[in-house]
Amino acid sequence: MNYLLHILIMIGIYSIVAYSLNLTTGFCGLISLSNAVFYGIGAYVYTLTAIHLNFSFIPSLIASLIITGIIAFLIAIPALRFRGDMFVIVTLSFQMIIFTILYNWVSLTRGPYGIPAIPRPLINISFKEVGLKLSINSLFEYLILILLINLVFLSLLFILYNSPFGLALKSMREDEKVSESLGKSVFRYFLYAFVITGIFTSAAGALYASYVTYIDPTSFTIEESIFHICILLIGGSGNIKGPFAGVIFMIILPEILRFMGIPDTIAPNVRQIIYGFLLVILMFLRPRGLAGEYEIK
Amino acid sequence: MGALFQLFINGLINGIIYSLLAIGFGIVYRTTRIFHIAYAGFYTLSAYLFFTFFKVLKLPFFISLILSLFSISVSGYLIERFVYLPFYEKKSSSGVIFIASLGIYIIIVNLIALIFGNEIKIILEGVQPSYSFYGIMLTRIQIIQALIGFILILIFSIMAKKSKIIKALWAMGDEPELLISLGLPFYNLRKLAFIISSFFVFTSSLLTVIDIGTNPHVGLPALLTSVVAVIIGGIDRLSGWILGSFTIALIQSLVIWKFSANWAPLATFLILILILLLRPQGIIGTKKRIEEI
Repeated sequence: MNYLLHILIMIGIYSIVAYSLNLTTGFCGLISLSNAVFYGIGAYVYTLTAIHLNFSFIPSLIASLIITGIIAFLIAIPALRFRGDMFVIVTLSFQMIIFTILYNWVSLTRGPYGIPAIPRPLINISFKEVGLKLSINSLFEYLILILLINLVFLSLLFILYNSPFGLALKSMREDEKVSESLGKSVFRYFLYAFVITGIFTSAAGALYASYVTYIDPTSFTIEESIFHICILLIGGSGNIKGPFAGVIFMIILPEILRFMGIPDTIAPNVRQIIYGFLLVILMFLRPRGLAGEYEIK
Repeated sequence: MGALFQLFINGLINGIIYSLLAIGFGIVYRTTRIFHIAYAGFYTLSAYLFFTFFKVLKLPFFISLILSLFSISVSGYLIERFVYLPFYEKKSSSGVIFIASLGIYIIIVNLIALIFGNEIKIILEGVQPSYSFYGIMLTRIQIIQALIGFILILIFSIMAKKSKIIKALWAMGDEPELLISLGLPFYNLRKLAFIISSFFVFTSSLLTVIDIGTNPHVGLPALLTSVVAVIIGGIDRLSGWILGSFTIALIQSLVIWKFSANWAPLATFLILILILLLRPQGIIGTKKRIEEI
């Protein structure tokens, strides 16, 4: 039962990641390799504010959203001057830079030693005399928390997808020049989308940190960024079905392999090899992914 | 001052190794416009092919060298024939090919990890002899690296100036369709680009591996180094790639001297971003519109 709850929680965390990255990849048509940065900074800001400043869950979460938003803004300004391969290279450079900082700024992040004993979420809301104090400990309570956060964030994102903003992004994805000629600033729209992606991804990072209660920089490497983008490339992007298919597939596949009796020592490699083959085959036969709308350009 | 000079010499030797890497990546990127991420896989594969022939099958050094060089060239041919060529014929977009290449990289690295495990493999055991010149310590391997690397770069630079085939390769990067109408063997030239690339990745990988050993994850940092070198030097010219490689290597030495080796990636990628923003055509390169780069 706990095992099932764990998988559901991971699906919850990664669906926030996938749907927010969907805004950059599926709607703007940009392949960003700096997503693990947002995920990682979200996790670190949550952890540091919770441990050093004794913030409860919601203030910590808000701090991660704000700080990651600022960093996403700073990354977007140079990165969005480029498209195609060069956009990938610039976001990848930021991924490497921030990872190096997380890894080497030992006095702040404890570097490779990681930060253990991250407090479990404590929800502390008081309004006039009425106060609510909830501490989340069991897996089931976690699942409820993650469901609630998913409910809030995903509905915000789904509203954005269908808003004039989302539709404008789609038109820019298809042809930037036409949209510019209609008076829309592509740079500004893409900037908003990129920053929103960063902010929402950091929430997933904060949830991850509070769930596993231990973080170190190796959870936020370039491989993690590749994993995030693979969710959208395999599942598909630009709509609501695609990222969902991606998350389910990427999280469930390892479990299927486990039930097929593949030993744990080789299972991660076998899983990666399957992802690799899928990427090549999908790109050849169906560049829009399993259930996506946007075809990679 | 002695330490700085030592680091400067080490930087120059690394610059030679990086140049080999950059030529291997650049030749594919410049001529076919494919962002060859699988290059990172080839780097790892080169090391493990040699390891298999030399340490597992216990063949003599030179026979292992020739066999692994042959196998990696064949792999270069195969990836073009069975992966990139079908995509080219389908007129796939560059993003699609990029992702497919990423897929190939993931497959190669994980197959190697599956077969050989994740731990470090050493090829030459024991402490290597080292020599000292005027207070500079050089190991025998460093001297070999510098000599072989220098000779290969020299030969390739002369070929790039003289040989018609290399010139045709360069032309392919500008106008692929024109090549066919000129009656040049377009498809064979593409394969040649991959074979040359495999040759250079092999030499660079092997020269590093005999020094510090290998593990399945060495490829990605090597690929990133070559990408940075090619972009900051300027994509269009061989001299740009080499200049870019030396720039990175020397800056890394400087960072090691001032701070520590851990901060080297930060400096490398900051320079990449700065160059892209301020001089997108690279240190030596002709000015172009940003969309063309």
